[in-house]
Amino acid sequence: MIAQLRSELLKQRSTETTLFLFLAMVGFVALAVTMHVIALSPARLSTNAHQLDVFQVGTRAAMIFAGLAGALAITAEIRFGTIRPTFLVEPRRSPVVAAKLAVGGLVGIVYSLLAEGLMAAAAAIAFSVRGIPNELTGGDYTRILAGGAAAGALWGILGVGVGALVRNQVATLVGILAWMFLVESVSEGFVPGAAKLMPGGAGLSLAGNEHKLSLAVAAALLIAYAAVASAAGWLATLRRDVA
Amino acid sequence: MPEQALPVHEVIESAPPGPVVRCSSLTKRYGEVVAVDRISFALEPGTVTGFLGPNGAGKTTTLRLLLGLAEPTSGEALVFGRRYRELEQPARHVGAVLESSDYHPSRSGRDHLRTLALAAELPVSRVEEVLELVELRKAAGRRVRTYSLGMRQQLGVAAALLGDPDLLVLDEPANGLDPAGVRWLRTFLRSLAAAGRTVLVSSHLLAEVAQTVDRVLVIDQGRLLAQGTLAELTSEGQTLEDVYLALTGDEAA
Repeated sequence: MIAQLRSELLKQRSTETTLFLFLAMVGFVALAVTMHVIALSPARLSTNAHQLDVFQVGTRAAMIFAGLAGALAITAEIRFGTIRPTFLVEPRRSPVVAAKLAVGGLVGIVYSLLAEGLMAAAAAIAFSVRGIPNELTGGDYTRILAGGAAAGALWGILGVGVGALVRNQVATLVGILAWMFLVESVSEGFVPGAAKLMPGGAGLSLAGNEHKLSLAVAAALLIAYAAVASAAGWLATLRRDVA
Repeated sequence: MPEQALPVHEVIESAPPGPVVRCSSLTKRYGEVVAVDRISFALEPGTVTGFLGPNGAGKTTTLRLLLGLAEPTSGEALVFGRRYRELEQPARHVGAVLESSDYHPSRSGRDHLRTLALAAELPVSRVEEVLELVELRKAAGRRVRTYSLGMRQQLGVAAALLGDPDLLVLDEPANGLDPAGVRWLRTFLRSLAAAGRTVLVSSHLLAEVAQTVDRVLVIDQGRLLAQGTLAELTSEGQTLEDVYLALTGDEAA
């Protein structure tokens, strides 16, 4: 297991994928911050609740990119065929899946801290430039960073599980993006009662951007999603033949 | 260069005496299609065996079953007396290359080998040794996407050799090699067999196979059509190509 973990960490470091994903996330946060913090009227940025809501850009970016990174950890191996040498070296497969889930969680934490930190810095600058008082407390920031890191970790694990189940790289990545930008976004508008229970919605409550769910319920829900996805991906990986 | 001494390899304490590979009535069905149909053969230590058959004959499927990448529908394939998945540290016993393209294109050859060495708990110094062995050291820092097909084949062989295995399984290793590379591979495989190692190599290059192998397995439509020593199969003065085409009924090709 330790051996597989070291191998997985080197896999993460030794291609450009990690850098590209990171740059894409920076771009995403920068664009979204511009749209929200600069375009919104001061009246819609004045209260603590408004500002927490704007900060969900960071949490969303963290979840999306953690999910994509997790999915890539397994689907890139299937796409490029490195899954064959990987399983020749560790034919029991379970240690490989476990290491990928662990690395997915770890990468999720890193992406979250970067995204939330970037968001906080960008918002602080924008608020100051526009003369809007920053209403967020130290407790809010702690919740955003810690809750956001937990949400990112769980989304990274979720991404590995879904990727192991679906296997096709394009289908997995498009599926994750469509889920966040179509299914959850549309649900927020039309069935908010369901949207808050979805993986993205639960993550927003976990990071304190929304308070539609209690911390405990949000954490339990997101853990359950990650557990179901990783169990399904794990079983599928053990049972299926490798092409 | 092929004369280079191989590092001392570990003795397999748990391996019972007997064949290195034993397939018994090995069968794989995909729905109605029988990809591998009751194949039985054994490989003895110190031999190079050529695995021949037309495209789609079931060669690669047989190798995948042998290497634990796919589960047989019935029958079994044993390596050193065990199923591949039950081997302790399989990279130290078996080295295999199934596809010449199993690389992340933006990872360097050296990092590819390092990810495998770490996973197999082999010393990272082995990476430089096998790079030297396949003469790929100069290109090792480049991304694999810049490699020629021949270099990818060499990198695959390097990966298979990381654990200094007693059994080497190679699927079409000569594809894309230049004449010097083909000769290097032939000499290298013969030197492994001379050192008591076992090699199973699939190929379409029959003239090359005839120069390299001791034994031949011929498979078509999932069935094993012939097995024996090269001398046995060509005892009536035919070439390996004559025998192969007569067996597989593929004269037109």
